[in-house]
Amino acid sequence: MKLSRRKFLAASGGAFAAAVAAANLTSLKAVAESGHGDAQTGEKGEKHIASSCEMCVNKCGFYAHVVNGRIKKLNPNPRFFKSRAMLCARGNAGAEEPYNPERLKTPLVRDGERGSNKWRKISYEEAFQIVAQKLAEAKTKYENRSSVAFFSSEGLQEGSFQMLAQTYGSLNTVRHPSLCLSSTIQGWSSVYGVYPDADLANAMFVVMPGANRAEALVTPDSMDFLRYRPKGQQLVVLDPRFTNTAAKADKWYPVKPATDMAFMLAMINVIINEELYNKDFVANMTEGFDELKAHVQQYTPEWAEKECEIPADEIKWCAREFAKYAPRSVIYPGRRTSWYVDDVAFRRACAIIPALCGCWDVPGGIVPKSGVPLKNPDIMYPFYDMVEERLDVESFGEFDNNLPDDARKEAGLPTDSVAYLGEKDGSWIRFREAVLRGEPYPVKMMMVYKQNFVEAAPNRAKTLKMMEMMDFICMIDIQMSDTAFYADLVIPESTYLERWDVVHSLAGIWPIATFRQACIEPVYQTKSMFEITGGIVDEMLKIPELWDDTDEEELEYFKEDFVEAILHAPIQDYIKYQVSGFENGYEKLLKDGVIYKTDQGVYGQSAKPGYRFKTRSGKIELTNVKYPDKGLDALPVYRRARQPKDGQFRFILGRHGWNTHTGTQNNEFLWEIQKENTLWINSKEALKLGIKNGDRVVVKSSVGEQTVKAEVTEKIRPDCVFYAHGFGRVSKGMSLVYQKGASQAAILEDYIEPISGNAAMHETFVTVSKA
Amino acid sequence: MAAHTENHGKSFLKSLIVNNKDIPAMPFIILGLILCAVGGFAVISVFVKGHHEAYGVTRQVPWGLLISSYAYFVIISTGIAFIGGLGHAFGYEKYAKISKRIVVLATIVLLAGFTQILMEIGNPLRMVYMMISPNFKAPIFWMGMFYGIELVILAFELYLIFKPNQTEADHKLAAVAGFLALLVGVLATSNLGYVFGSLNAREWYHGIYFSTFLVVSGVTAGAALLILVHTIVYKGSLPAELKPSMVSLGKLMGGGIGVMMFLYLWKMLSSIFTEPGDAYMSVMSLINGPLSFNFWIGEMLLAVILPLALIVTAKGSIKKLSMAGFIFLIGLFFTRFDFVVAGQLPPMRKGLAGSGVITDVAGFAFYSPSMLEWLVYMFGFGVFFLLYFSAEKFLNLETESHH
Amino acid sequence: MATKKFGIVLDAKKCLNCKACTVACKFENTIHPGEDDYRIWVTELELKGTYPNISQEYQPSQCQHCENTPCASVCPTKATYKSPEGVVLIDYDKCILCKACMTACPYDARYENVHLHAIDKCTFCYQRQPEGREPACVETCPTRVRVFGDLNDPESEASKLLARNHTYQLKPERNTRPRLHYIK
Ligand SMILES: Nc1nc2c(c(=O)[nH]1)N[C@H]1C(S)=C(S)[C@@H](COP(=O)(O)OP(=O)(O)OC[C@H]3O[C@@H](n4cnc5c(=O)[nH]c(N)nc54)[C@H](O)[C@@H]3O)O[C@H]1N2
Ligand SMILES: Nc1nc2c(c(=O)[nH]1)N[C@H]1C(S)=C(S)[C@@H](COP(=O)(O)OP(=O)(O)OC[C@H]3O[C@@H](n4cnc5c(=O)[nH]c(N)nc54)[C@H](O)[C@@H]3O)O[C@H]1N2
Ligand code: SF4
Ligand code: SF4
Ligand code: SF4
Ligand code: SF4
Ligand code: SF4
Ligand SMILES: [Mo]
Repeated sequence: MKLSRRKFLAASGGAFAAAVAAANLTSLKAVAESGHGDAQTGEKGEKHIASSCEMCVNKCGFYAHVVNGRIKKLNPNPRFFKSRAMLCARGNAGAEEPYNPERLKTPLVRDGERGSNKWRKISYEEAFQIVAQKLAEAKTKYENRSSVAFFSSEGLQEGSFQMLAQTYGSLNTVRHPSLCLSSTIQGWSSVYGVYPDADLANAMFVVMPGANRAEALVTPDSMDFLRYRPKGQQLVVLDPRFTNTAAKADKWYPVKPATDMAFMLAMINVIINEELYNKDFVANMTEGFDELKAHVQQYTPEWAEKECEIPADEIKWCAREFAKYAPRSVIYPGRRTSWYVDDVAFRRACAIIPALCGCWDVPGGIVPKSGVPLKNPDIMYPFYDMVEERLDVESFGEFDNNLPDDARKEAGLPTDSVAYLGEKDGSWIRFREAVLRGEPYPVKMMMVYKQNFVEAAPNRAKTLKMMEMMDFICMIDIQMSDTAFYADLVIPESTYLERWDVVHSLAGIWPIATFRQACIEPVYQTKSMFEITGGIVDEMLKIPELWDDTDEEELEYFKEDFVEAILHAPIQDYIKYQVSGFENGYEKLLKDGVIYKTDQGVYGQSAKPGYRFKTRSGKIELTNVKYPDKGLDALPVYRRARQPKDGQFRFILGRHGWNTHTGTQNNEFLWEIQKENTLWINSKEALKLGIKNGDRVVVKSSVGEQTVKAEVTEKIRPDCVFYAHGFGRVSKGMSLVYQKGASQAAILEDYIEPISGNAAMHETFVTVSKA
Repeated sequence: MAAHTENHGKSFLKSLIVNNKDIPAMPFIILGLILCAVGGFAVISVFVKGHHEAYGVTRQVPWGLLISSYAYFVIISTGIAFIGGLGHAFGYEKYAKISKRIVVLATIVLLAGFTQILMEIGNPLRMVYMMISPNFKAPIFWMGMFYGIELVILAFELYLIFKPNQTEADHKLAAVAGFLALLVGVLATSNLGYVFGSLNAREWYHGIYFSTFLVVSGVTAGAALLILVHTIVYKGSLPAELKPSMVSLGKLMGGGIGVMMFLYLWKMLSSIFTEPGDAYMSVMSLINGPLSFNFWIGEMLLAVILPLALIVTAKGSIKKLSMAGFIFLIGLFFTRFDFVVAGQLPPMRKGLAGSGVITDVAGFAFYSPSMLEWLVYMFGFGVFFLLYFSAEKFLNLETESHH
Repeated sequence: MATKKFGIVLDAKKCLNCKACTVACKFENTIHPGEDDYRIWVTELELKGTYPNISQEYQPSQCQHCENTPCASVCPTKATYKSPEGVVLIDYDKCILCKACMTACPYDARYENVHLHAIDKCTFCYQRQPEGREPACVETCPTRVRVFGDLNDPESEASKLLARNHTYQLKPERNTRPRLHYIK
């Protein structure tokens, strides 16, 4: 099957080359002379270099204080208003990353069994040759480029990795959203056509269902909800755990897990039945009000109280306050929403409330994200014959889709496919399922960039089984992550402080764009993903078998417009091109680390009459128009979730402020804050089980068990337990946390939210007993 | 000129050396050598590892065993000097009879104490700054001054004592020196109490109590050590003329313990009634906290009850008195250790998560001395045994009556 | 011009216990990881109440830069001294490591810095003063718990906060007169 493709390569590629040539002359020289090309040893003096953080997704701005060629400290960049001029603990600890004694220093090729931790050091050149060779082998052997899967997580260099994926031509790219936020994106987009922000800096009434802004830091929300909190703002937090956010809230509702939707539906019920909604707004901007009204009659606050264990009066109070302060009222959209199998429906319910009250695209309301306009070269990759459609798309209908037994038969959820699969992101769990079955075609090789799926994907045993099936696994990381530990080839990337990264627009109410420049020379002569892609592509071009299923002419264009013009040019050229729409954009970036069109919040673009939303009807869809086509509920229908049986607890996840996922625990400055995780268990339940604070307990699910210290606490509901992510590691290359504490991935069952393909990670029930 | 002094020195030294074969010094000298060797190894390890690594002291309990062993030695030394002062300066006949031994013993015990503080202080070389930029408000400055002066006075006394052809002027000078040693000794010890008493943070040490207690317990210990040493040197059978001295020392010791008990009582009671303050916590650490064994067995049984019982029932038995002295000196170690540690066990912040402070369930900070700390302590004893019994062996420490 | 008097006004109720300040301090002042090695800490105060009626607060703190200075008065070599702005500092070269100051400090603000071979503690990031930059812990805080400034200047943000709010100091019974003021 030959995929069709438009042929206008010359135009786009050529434009890029010309723009660069024009921009080049002066500033490129400047770069070569200032720092980047300088000798790395014996550098003297102090400097402050603007760049952005990569200890988590937020990319906060900093100035690196460099003393004699060594990073002394990272200081917050006051001009970086998205992060409100702060750096968190992780952002500060980033200064240690280049010097972490256990970081990767040189490419390593496996020299023993997988996971034996026996490695041989090789050069980058050798590593590139091995990758190119293996890619060629996979192509010839399976006659399908999609037999190589490309896993990656977000980051300013992820694009470089995608360039490699696209150069090779596999359609199987598997990104992190389906372990993170794809369900909330889907849920909110099904109402507004976009995944918007909540304007916490101006809202007067905030309902936060299970987001933890005080610990799971998201800029600028985490600053705004306390530091820039408007006088009189009320914050209502729903969370089964007493998080730091709950501690700062005006009201904390310890909601029964998996029942938030009942709360939201009852709020809708009150807002509609008490006619608290914004009639003009509903009439002009929305679609499907009457259906909604009829639908929510069943969801009275009294009914909801029985479901979610929040008193009916409180729900009514919330609904009335919400309407009172509208449009400066928000339901917080949430971020990591890999919770339950009905998460999209729940997020839809959340999204409907502000729409009813007209809290849309105004200060203090729900506001669509704006971006900073950047130019990105439109790269035309060759087109290949030997490519199959995405594995997780092709596998539709082949097997059940990881719904719990009792949820599978429920109507309104697709049972044999992911309804709205992210085209580039895929669905992680579904993908793994398909690989394990080898259907409809085998995937036998993995290229992994900056994703540690051994710990990030639920059901670790299954992930390891999938890895065992691989002919070859190549991991590009900065440390010996658990995934790297089981790989065949490990290629170190330079840390974010040692490299140049392309510009990204950080979309939001206060959009800015940022990039990275090298603050120091690579401590161990490591390379950026951009350079790694360049190196691998060069080696690939030396292997004729890799190019026999494409058009020769296309290949020539590709070499000229992409390989020559982009990969073989300094990455600074790319950056300059991206910001060529700004006057002195590149110089501004170098100096300030940030560019923007305005430092004011951007509101009202879509609040104008006649604006067409990116929904099927062009309006805000209270009742979704396209869902019924796929057999999905047009309105959020509450279906009671499975509940733990006697003696079981629901295992729930959550962040804390001191680490990012699985990436930062081996940094001594963070490790010393929390050396291992502990199981939060309600004190009454602990008493019943005879568990005392500090006792070692076994936490057991249907897929695995872990031993961990108990933290007997008042801060969690009696029906669930929790421990933090990132501990109990399997990689011996992370010695500070190797087998310290407990792993989430080891006990999480692998259910799926079938509309978005997101993982459903709060559906696991566990037993707890003394070890 | 040079030759002359040298000759003079030689003959002076020669004149000093006597071989007192009948004194059972050799076992103690050997013990001293062994302890010095083991302790010397510890000293070297401390230098290699650094204090922080080598010692068990922490941020919460910065002063540990070595401060208490320092106090142990130097306060005994000043106690001995006190007794010597009574003999020398005030013509207290019974003590004057043993004045030579007193001066030598005081000096050597003081030196043993100095080994402890030198090993305790992290940067002893920087102590020159105590002269270059002294802080007259700081009790440690005065501690340095007083103990330094005490050593000089004792050295001068030594010189006078061993000087051949002593004159009447020498005797007068010795009396003045003895008085000064007493005075400076009392100042030094009470100031040592103030080194603790001046710590704003540590309520347990506040007030006049410890200054008084340290002086009294020092004199008591001085008496105890003198009795013990004489009993050893004379293998249990003292010359008749020294017996009254010993009996008197025994009384002094008994009286001292009595006063100590009196002081204990009021200190404990006053601290208990400051509940819930830190002083209260400190007392609790002694009565039923981490230091309770030390307190009841060490401080009470060994340093108070048993010696007192022995003294009361001694009826002139030097054996019993020396036994009392021996037990008291062991008990006194606990007294010193508890004094130093109890004041620091109440943490300055509660041991809550994030506070950086680690405490037990009762809320006390932790301290237990490291092996190297113990060995450095042993080094102090090594120095004492080696020097003192060498002095006994090779010098004449009998006091000829000069009145 | 009146002399400056540096101090910090803290609104601990805003504290997230995120530890940005503690990590920032470590890098700014080259403090190595280690149990006892810190100039600044954030205490999780006892949880109050029982589920579900609970509350929790945090208490970030550091050297109080006491006006009445217990640590300086016991320091035999004047290694501990006060800057003209009232910042309590240590001349590392003069420190004999007698630890009297550690035992004297009612806030447990001091520790032995093995790399400097001296006692160490918060300096209000005095090295930043010539450039007029705020201390690292102040600057990096997501919620701006701390405000640093000249308490002698009524126009400084810190002075204004102090004037506008009811504040308290830690351990007033020790009569140290701290320069850290907590908003009630
Ligand atoms: N059990 C459990 N699973 C989860 C979650 C959870 O809370 N619990 N959270 C989910 C969410 S929200 C998300 S977003 C995902 C995140 O999952 P991942 O994207 O896999 O994130 P990490 O686990 O942090 O792993 C990131 C890896 O990138 C590496 N890395 C860091 N910086 C660089 C760099 O500059 N270059 C390269 N090449 N590598 C780098 C790190 O060393 C680390 O190994 O996890 C999801 N999975
Ligand atoms: N410090 C730090 N900050 C981060 C990250 C990090 O790793 N560390 N990661 C970043 C990333 S990638 C993401 S996606 C975001 C995630 O940001 P958030 O989405 O805020 O992340 P979580 O901490 O996973 O929040 C989930 C909360 O939901 C609660 N919860 C669990 N079950 C239920 C339920 O049934 N109902 C309700 N109402 N609540 C429930 C949990 O107790 C938890 O407190 O954080 C970002 N910021
Ligand atoms: S929130 Fe913290 S870790 Fe994330 S980018 Fe900002 S400073 Fe870095
Ligand atoms: S940085 Fe601020 S919010 Fe974070 S722990 Fe420190 S004082 Fe609290
Ligand atoms: S807090 Fe402690 S270290 Fe700081 S000035 Fe006061 S007494 Fe000195
Ligand atoms: S330890 Fe150093 S700073 Fe502290 S009192 Fe002694 S000499 Fe002064
Ligand atoms: S002021 Fe500077 S030295 Fe003091 S705690 Fe803050 S960062 Fe550390
Ligand atoms: Mo995420």
